[in-house]
Amino acid sequence: MENKELELQKIRKDLKEMIARDLALEDVKPEEIGDDEILFGEGLGLDSLDAVEIVVLLQRNFGLEIKNMDQGKEIFYSINTIANFIYDNKGKKS
Amino acid sequence: MKILGTGIIFTRGQGIGVLENSLRSGWVKPAEMDVPRTEGNTRPVYQVDLDAVQDRSLLKKLRRADKLSKMSVLAAADALADSGIADIARKKIGIILATAFGAQVTTFDFLDGILDYGDAAVSPTTFSNSVHNAAASYVSSSLNIRGPTLTVTQFRFSFQSALQLAQTWLEQGRCDYLLAGAVDQYGDVLGYIAEQKLTAAQDGRIKPFVFNPTCQVPGEGALFFLLGNDRTDSAYCSIDSVSTSGDPDCGKPVDINLIDADGMLPDESAYLSALSPDTLTTAYAPIFGSMMIGGAFNLATAALMLKQQTHYAAPVLDNPHALLLLSETGPAHIGSIRSIGCNCFGEKSVVYLSKLT
Repeated sequence: MENKELELQKIRKDLKEMIARDLALEDVKPEEIGDDEILFGEGLGLDSLDAVEIVVLLQRNFGLEIKNMDQGKEIFYSINTIANFIYDNKGKKS
Repeated sequence: MKILGTGIIFTRGQGIGVLENSLRSGWVKPAEMDVPRTEGNTRPVYQVDLDAVQDRSLLKKLRRADKLSKMSVLAAADALADSGIADIARKKIGIILATAFGAQVTTFDFLDGILDYGDAAVSPTTFSNSVHNAAASYVSSSLNIRGPTLTVTQFRFSFQSALQLAQTWLEQGRCDYLLAGAVDQYGDVLGYIAEQKLTAAQDGRIKPFVFNPTCQVPGEGALFFLLGNDRTDSAYCSIDSVSTSGDPDCGKPVDINLIDADGMLPDESAYLSALSPDTLTTAYAPIFGSMMIGGAFNLATAALMLKQQTHYAAPVLDNPHALLLLSETGPAHIGSIRSIGCNCFGEKSVVYLSKLT
């Protein structure tokens, strides 16, 4: 259990750094992104193009493919939901 | 055709005020950039630092854009603002963007993405930034400009070709005003090619009046002119003629010959045949760095000299051919300037600028 939480913490940290850097969010530091903050729309303000970039980031960095974008809506809700998806699916294709 | 506004971003910063201060303060040693895949090797480069841009409002709108597009938008926005034309947003404005290499850095990033991750995991944003007209499109969309938009790509004389086309569009009435710009970006690939094919300036000093052997320091940046037919209070000068195939007015007297020599050709002796021992000669590549579009930055300097009626000393004065160099900065009476560029075939581009009367 402790190991799982430690691993999730690392995934969340990596995700925040990736999103701030690779989506080139001006004035947003990785540590300012909340674990449960809504990423799209009124939350962090990401849009559909960012969703495609996150799909690419997951593929590049974690070897995970998201082929069904309906599934993506739930996964991309927050840093926590993406981190849980990565943790649950690492080592296997979604 | 008149230059009504100027916007510039280059290694020393952004804006016509920074250009003027740089011309007054003279040569500055370039930064040393790491050479990838070597053990601690560096090369001198005049690079643009976008992090140093103070007004971040435009950059916030451009978070997906690459550096080439960001530099273009910043310079174009400054050119509009510099013109001081109050209702400029309501005018029909065209955009012609000149470049030698376009989005080559982004294109290589995209290709690297395919090689590293496969074609299914390449960034779509990187691809969209790599297409030919991306930078001009960013200028159009972020500044809400709705006239015709074109990118001119040519190794040499691309900006001069853009000026010729701008003149045609203005004469045809296709636009009220034209944003004519030039942009190029430094990247590792260009740095490598320059090192392999040309001679790097070991001390960081481009020597524009040596001609052979030449030495270069890569540069990058963007320059935009707002062009129009009607004179305004803050206009810079008139562009009397532009030629990209020699000088049809070669006997015409001018006050200053401004040459684009910058070490981007291994032998630049062809400039000598265009110079006169009785006419002041100058060059400003050591301020901006070596670029195929360097002529655009020189033209901005010429426009500033005509507007301010000020001589700006050439920043590096090595003079083995005993030319009459512009060696002192100060007030002057300048009626006309001829800007001269040469390509590797010895062909010349010539732009005549004159003071507004």
